[in-house]
Amino acid sequence: MAHRRAAHLLPTASQCVSRLWVPRLRNPPNAIGQTASFLGPNGAPGRAPRSLHTATPSRAAKLLSLDELFAKRSLQEHLKELQAEYAECLKAASSRGDEPRTERTRVSLLAPLVQSIGELDTKRRQLAETETLLTDEDPALQELAQLEHEGCQREIQDLRQKILDQLLPEEEADLSDLVLEVTAGIGGQEAMLFTDEVFDMYQGYARHQGWSFDILEHMTSEIGGLRHASASVSGPHSYKRMKFEAGVHRVQRVPRTEKQGRMHTSTMTVAVLPQPTEISFTINSKDLRIETKRASGAGGQHVNTTDSAVRILHLPTGVVAECQQERSQIKNKEKAMKALRAKLYSRKLEEETSRRYNQRKVQIGTKGRSEKIRTYNFSKDRVTDHRLGTTVHDVRSFLLGEDLLDQMNSWLQEFSNQEALEELLEETQRDGS
Amino acid sequence: MWRMSLCAGYRSVGCRIVGIKGLWGSRVVRTCSTPAIPAGRITALQAVDLWTNHFVERGVMEPDHSSLHILAYLLGAKTINSLERGKLSEFLSPEKTEQMWRLCSRRLSRMPVQYVIEEWDFRDLTLKMRPPVFIPRPETEELVELVLTDVDMRPGTGAGVDAPHTCLEVGCGSGAIALSLLKSLPQLKVIALDQSQDAVDLTGENALRLGLQDRLQVYHLDVIKDAETVLSLCRHVSTLVSNPPYLFSEDMDTLEPEIFRFEDHAALDGGIDGLKVIKQILTLAPQILSNHGRVYLEVDPRHPPLIRRWVEANVEEMRYVETRHDVSGRPRFCILRKEKSNKDHKLDLD
Repeated sequence: MAHRRAAHLLPTASQCVSRLWVPRLRNPPNAIGQTASFLGPNGAPGRAPRSLHTATPSRAAKLLSLDELFAKRSLQEHLKELQAEYAECLKAASSRGDEPRTERTRVSLLAPLVQSIGELDTKRRQLAETETLLTDEDPALQELAQLEHEGCQREIQDLRQKILDQLLPEEEADLSDLVLEVTAGIGGQEAMLFTDEVFDMYQGYARHQGWSFDILEHMTSEIGGLRHASASVSGPHSYKRMKFEAGVHRVQRVPRTEKQGRMHTSTMTVAVLPQPTEISFTINSKDLRIETKRASGAGGQHVNTTDSAVRILHLPTGVVAECQQERSQIKNKEKAMKALRAKLYSRKLEEETSRRYNQRKVQIGTKGRSEKIRTYNFSKDRVTDHRLGTTVHDVRSFLLGEDLLDQMNSWLQEFSNQEALEELLEETQRDGS
Repeated sequence: MWRMSLCAGYRSVGCRIVGIKGLWGSRVVRTCSTPAIPAGRITALQAVDLWTNHFVERGVMEPDHSSLHILAYLLGAKTINSLERGKLSEFLSPEKTEQMWRLCSRRLSRMPVQYVIEEWDFRDLTLKMRPPVFIPRPETEELVELVLTDVDMRPGTGAGVDAPHTCLEVGCGSGAIALSLLKSLPQLKVIALDQSQDAVDLTGENALRLGLQDRLQVYHLDVIKDAETVLSLCRHVSTLVSNPPYLFSEDMDTLEPEIFRFEDHAALDGGIDGLKVIKQILTLAPQILSNHGRVYLEVDPRHPPLIRRWVEANVEEMRYVETRHDVSGRPRFCILRKEKSNKDHKLDLD
């Protein structure tokens, strides 16, 4: 009986793909998606084609479900406090004339959240009402009540998600585009081959998400593979998603060149730099030294070179960016400038992000740069994310940069939001406000 | 006369390539020193290494860039960096190997890479290149940038705010400046002139390839010899832009063989002080431009103060606005503006 109820409550496949909020499945985190992910072709719950399992409970990231989060007293109290603050500010803002600017901005900031809270209360009352009808004698009424009950529950979860999104302030950089950098690490040629595969994966991911992927720099190695590359990625939520990809990725497999069939571990590093808009971040051209091949001699009509590489040095900080991707020098200059802006901007944000993310498991920024975040094991055909303690199967599909990567990225997103929420609740509890 | 020997020169290089295939690794140096095509298969990378070494031995400038650009072109990419993974370690087909040998041998004769592969990029355009038409330089990309940013900020030039602007380019060469402007400014019309029929033909060809021929008129005219004709064609032009020949005659001898042997000297030699064509352009400018119309010139780094002084003394209606620098920090661009004097306003028939 309970099982049949559970089956009805499972989200459909399309819902799953669009909103992979794990907690909606109402399973404890250790059983994330074991069987509950998709409905099979005949409507019965079926196994997802790619199964996944978490690591042992002690290592697994505790991804709380919506129910668990909303059961927290700290959250309930915080929401009540915000409602109270809203009511006070509203009174203050409407009473006096032009004085309370701060109250009015606070009101407009809190209004959407308070509205959602109100809607949630309404829905929960509706749910309670339908519950009484579930045990009605009339089977037709019962069925109707059942449908309404399910509808209410779905809407409640949606509203809860909305409230959480509204609680957490959007970070400045989340709205921006990004510059992606990949660098081969330890492992010689094998590391460079892996770097190439990872770069391809992100190119695929950009395609999958409908983002643009413009290569700024691409240093292949003579013996095969990629030493270093960078790309400018832009599109909605691109930085917001990609920021969790930063860190050290490890590959474990028998390399192509390995004659004795031994397993090797190689690494590569991914860096994700937010790309600021022109207005939000300006660089003084006097602070730049631009180096080109044309610099020596008289230049102009006197010389014909085909070396159009450009290197830009930011004098105050010593940060350097270069590009030789194009035949046109001015295009190389533009690309180098793009890369430079991203590097300088991320330095600027560095302070803020390291403070905010200091205590968290999911690190971004330079602190996260040397963290081993993921291992790709070819012989066991699995990909493990070390921050979540989660493992997914089918490495080759993962490296396509499509659904599997998207899924893992969404989990990282949720987990990071959760950590942010916990911090927020701790802060407010400490402040006692 | 030098042009005839030039053509004969590179045709003869071309006809020696097909033929005897030497042994792999043997250094058979024949009369025009074309290295032998190896008997066995080689990878793209091996071909690049081989030819880089040949170029180094023969003192060819930028040996590595030369072989890399030629290879990239053969494999369908712009630069070696944009090639697909693993392409460099793949074996070249016999056809591609033969092509590599043919093109690189041309480079051995110091033919510029742009002429060897018959194309090059200028800003966001890819243009066809053909000797002896002058190959656009990177500095000129910045000249176009200058014109474009200025156009954004300029108020109407008196020809009517909504009237489409017309730009005159003197010395269009391959069409780089004209076509870049046309691409970026959909409302612009351009009149382009060049004293070389080859340049006129190439500009037209590039315009057609880029679909920009509708707003472009190209004329085979010399701004000095055919001044009358030029003036009759061009009136109320809002912008005059030029990368005129600006080298000092004495500097012509110091040019690298790539330039001296292959590019049109008339596109380079600006006379004793390099100002011959520049002065003519500025003399004609007041009659070509509408009031407040601007002139943008690319010049030799020594020119800006000379031009300023000369204009102040000799061309009443042109004001020297400013000098701008290129990316290497050299004074490179002169901006001037037509300012009709008050007394002329009364006699104004424009």
